[in-house]
Amino acid sequence: MSTTSHEATGSDTPTVKMITGTIDGTDVTVPEGTMIIRAAELMGVEVPRFCDHPLLDPVAACRACLVEVEGMPKPQPSCAVPLGDGMTVQTQLTSEVADTAQKGVMEFLLINHPLDCPVCDKGGECPLQNQAMSVGRPESRFTGQKREFPKPINVSSEILLDRERCVSCARCTRFAEQIAGDPFIALLERGAQQQVGTGEEPFDSYFSGNTIQICPVGALTSEEYRFRSRPFDLVSVPTTCEHCASGCSMRTDYRHENVMRRQSGDDPEVNEEWNCDKGRFAFPYLQLERLATPLVRENGQLRRASWPEALRIAADGLAAARGRTSVLTGGRLTMEDAYAYARFARVGLGTDDIDLRARAASDEETDFLSGEVAGSCGPVYRELESAPAVLLAALEPEEESPIIYLRLRKAARAGTKVFSLGPFASQGLEKMAGSLVECVPGDLATQLDQLDDETAAALSQPGAVILLGERAATEPGAFAAMSRLVQRTGAEWAWVPRRAGERGAIDAGCLPGLLPGGRPLTDETARQEIASLWGIDPDELPATAGRSLAATVAQIHADAKAASEAGEEEEFSPELAALLVAGVEPDDIPNADQFLTALDSVPFLVSLETRPSEVTARADVVLPVAVVTEKSGAFVTWEGRRRPFGTVMPQPTSFTDAVVLALLSDYMDLATPPREVDDLRTELGNLGAWQGSRVSPADVPAGSAQQPGSGEAVLASWRYLLDLGTMQEGEPHLAGTRKPAVVRISAATAAANGVEAGSRVRVSTDTGAITLPVELTEMAENVVWLPLNSPDSQVLVSLGALPGDTVRLERGDV
Amino acid sequence: MSISEQTLAESRELAGRYPKARSGIVPMLHLMQAEVGMVNSDVIEACAEILDISTAEVVAVATFYTMYRMRTEGGEHHIGVCVNTGCGLLGGDALYEALAVKLGVGHNETTPDGKFTLERIECQAACTHAPVLTVDWEFFDHSTIAEAMDVIDRLTAGEEVLPTRGPAVRGWRAAERTVAGLDDGLADEGGGVDELMLAGLKVAKAAESGVDGTVKK
Ligand code: SF4
Ligand code: SF4
Ligand code: FES
Ligand code: FES
Repeated sequence: MSTTSHEATGSDTPTVKMITGTIDGTDVTVPEGTMIIRAAELMGVEVPRFCDHPLLDPVAACRACLVEVEGMPKPQPSCAVPLGDGMTVQTQLTSEVADTAQKGVMEFLLINHPLDCPVCDKGGECPLQNQAMSVGRPESRFTGQKREFPKPINVSSEILLDRERCVSCARCTRFAEQIAGDPFIALLERGAQQQVGTGEEPFDSYFSGNTIQICPVGALTSEEYRFRSRPFDLVSVPTTCEHCASGCSMRTDYRHENVMRRQSGDDPEVNEEWNCDKGRFAFPYLQLERLATPLVRENGQLRRASWPEALRIAADGLAAARGRTSVLTGGRLTMEDAYAYARFARVGLGTDDIDLRARAASDEETDFLSGEVAGSCGPVYRELESAPAVLLAALEPEEESPIIYLRLRKAARAGTKVFSLGPFASQGLEKMAGSLVECVPGDLATQLDQLDDETAAALSQPGAVILLGERAATEPGAFAAMSRLVQRTGAEWAWVPRRAGERGAIDAGCLPGLLPGGRPLTDETARQEIASLWGIDPDELPATAGRSLAATVAQIHADAKAASEAGEEEEFSPELAALLVAGVEPDDIPNADQFLTALDSVPFLVSLETRPSEVTARADVVLPVAVVTEKSGAFVTWEGRRRPFGTVMPQPTSFTDAVVLALLSDYMDLATPPREVDDLRTELGNLGAWQGSRVSPADVPAGSAQQPGSGEAVLASWRYLLDLGTMQEGEPHLAGTRKPAVVRISAATAAANGVEAGSRVRVSTDTGAITLPVELTEMAENVVWLPLNSPDSQVLVSLGALPGDTVRLERGDV
Repeated sequence: MSISEQTLAESRELAGRYPKARSGIVPMLHLMQAEVGMVNSDVIEACAEILDISTAEVVAVATFYTMYRMRTEGGEHHIGVCVNTGCGLLGGDALYEALAVKLGVGHNETTPDGKFTLERIECQAACTHAPVLTVDWEFFDHSTIAEAMDVIDRLTAGEEVLPTRGPAVRGWRAAERTVAGLDDGLADEGGGVDELMLAGLKVAKAAESGVDGTVKK
């Protein structure tokens, strides 16, 4: 995704001044500004601490880290005093004063701390417990009454607070303010009654769970995990989050084959030490009803079947439909599983009909993803952080890729200018101190072309980045327009999908016309490379680009129509005779109805799924596959970074998609393709980057927004991070922190349609209607926004409309 | 929202006085409390909205300062008795006890008729006149129990009550507007500085100019 090199930024990197001080008699040289506590760490000296956190601004609130500094009259908090050149510091290891001071502070901290350890979630992994052992007295001298509070209060429906456990370190409140930008908790009642608390609103922050993890005591707990386990009973496995393309490193803790909790991993290049609440709390779905055995359809009913029976039926059905099968992989597979599908489609099924996009998509996007995204590596998180300016187009990072939001917010606090093309300035944009470039859905390409000089100048600075969200697929001409803007400004760019598996599946070749490793199906060299990798003749590869999901659905409907017209007697042979579907949620697809009727009418449907779904209900053969905790693999971030992860809980009876496809190959008497993750990864890796020519995206003319008539408006919509997504099922406390669904329109649009502040608005199409409370918003006129998939607001299902479409607008019933 | 348009407009004006609007939170809370009689959810939300901060941040400030009445309405008159070391030792403690008995309420409580709120207050920087009683934040210097009882009786009777210095007692809410920094035009009423207040300054000046001879620069 690089069009120009931005090495230039390297040359203006200010040279770091190094200084040398002495800690415990040993010289240490560190960059100027390094706090004493950090410098001590570098030498292997650990000073006790509670409030200190490397990613938060220092406050010196707890005083646990006192050290002696020569020339200073009193012990100093080492977390907030930078090491000076020539400074002499003595920690508890060499200074009686520091040692006594630290012990004194610990004694004070414990005065009000309850003896909760036996029932406290933090027990066993608690900095207070640990440091009380190392710095505290064996016995308390305090005989008075400790502070008491009613046991826990809900600061949100998910997060609980035991106030008497709090040591007032302000890590949680600083995190909320400095990192998340959601200062909905604060230190209240400062003084003897000091406590963390909320104001009038709950702590509904998408990042609230991080406060539990950084709380140095057990004051903050989650409804989900509270009292469920002890740390020493858990098995911890490093993992990658499966919920979005931010690609957070995580740690999954399980016990007795049940995931108990998930924590953020520490990866400075990606999520630093944070993750979002969806990644942290949305795992109970893994333990909801699973498909236990294969199912086959008999007399119209699904019944349980053995693996050999089900594989036999599936293999025979698919073999009979060779060359006339379409494969829909969904966007949630690991890169390796996706690769297995890409190969199985071409080799096993003789088809190039394969599409990973279970969402609104376009042919223009297919070209763009094949030509520009597949196999590429774009700007990375660190480059976002150092970018002078970032333009967001069809992307709301806080909702759609939360770690991009956190990085951009960090960047913005240090001076990066964020611009966003959208219908209104979202909360996320405001928290990044960003500027809105008003853009009505449908108009994105035109707006990209006509970007004002000031914004364009900002993007022309070396290192500037354009981030284009997956919603650009519904914006005619947007990809071509972005290319033009990249040429005009020289900015770096990246495409940001929402789902964790999309980037990997693109790299693996799950698009029509696109072979693995960014290789075009129509390129001779590419065909040869792939054919030799797969041990087939290039001629055996499909000759022409296949069907997308939308084209597949259309073809099945056309077949059904032709069949009904053909009459009883004639032998009718449909163009598409079978479908192989993995992990697709019909409600995510525009025109879900049509998709479902296509599933009903396609002659043969094989579904690889983890849980019963609307697809499995319509399948002829259902083959159960492993959930993310039962397999290893890799997701690929929006940056193109591979995020491999290992198996959390090995489950001998559950198979990855790749294994099931290999079994199908066996039953179809084909050569067995690689089925183990390592082999798949190696094979894909050996392929290397494609150096040849690529599909050049068509120069599609820029679209422009529809012109709604009276009583109408242009629909704008995107998903909230926490919504009705199926992978959030089973966690009601998390659901309790969702943003409420509202309809946003401007005051002028409201007035023109008889809507007043406080009333409800009915948004409708011929398909149906959604009625929600109005939130008058400073935004473009004759545009209406509502959340795409929230309770009471399922746009795709209820309205059958996409962003950019015209919808009707009127005052709703009270 | 129960805050009047006028108060909201004045609040915005207060916020506009500072380079960073959020600095206006302290006077704003006083101003809104003058209207509502306490800091309640309406006040918290209005402040948060005007200053574009979270309600938690407003509560953090409002609960830090004792002059804000969190969620309990203040009486018509605020009766403060300084019980810090200076005043306490010189009769403040006794004064407070007597007032508590007379009013039948304790610290931070309001008489059932809504007339008086009693509060033990911290040092008012008037130690030179200890013990001090304040009524609606006007000073009654060197106060005695007898004087305090008389003040209460006269306020109950609705008579005009003059403090030792400053304008006549006007009721707590009116005083809160002054505390909020809105000009009440009364700055020069009832005199201000007296000899006792200046005594320390004189000693310091004298020492500086070497007149005294005991303290040399
Ligand atoms: S709740 Fe935990 S993180 Fe927050 S101030 Fe208290 S001890 Fe610190
Ligand atoms: S930001 Fe994305 S990858 Fe990270 S925890 Fe949330 S959903 Fe998972
Ligand atoms: S860690 Fe230094 S004061 Fe808290
Ligand atoms: S001690 Fe009462 S005013 Fe200072």
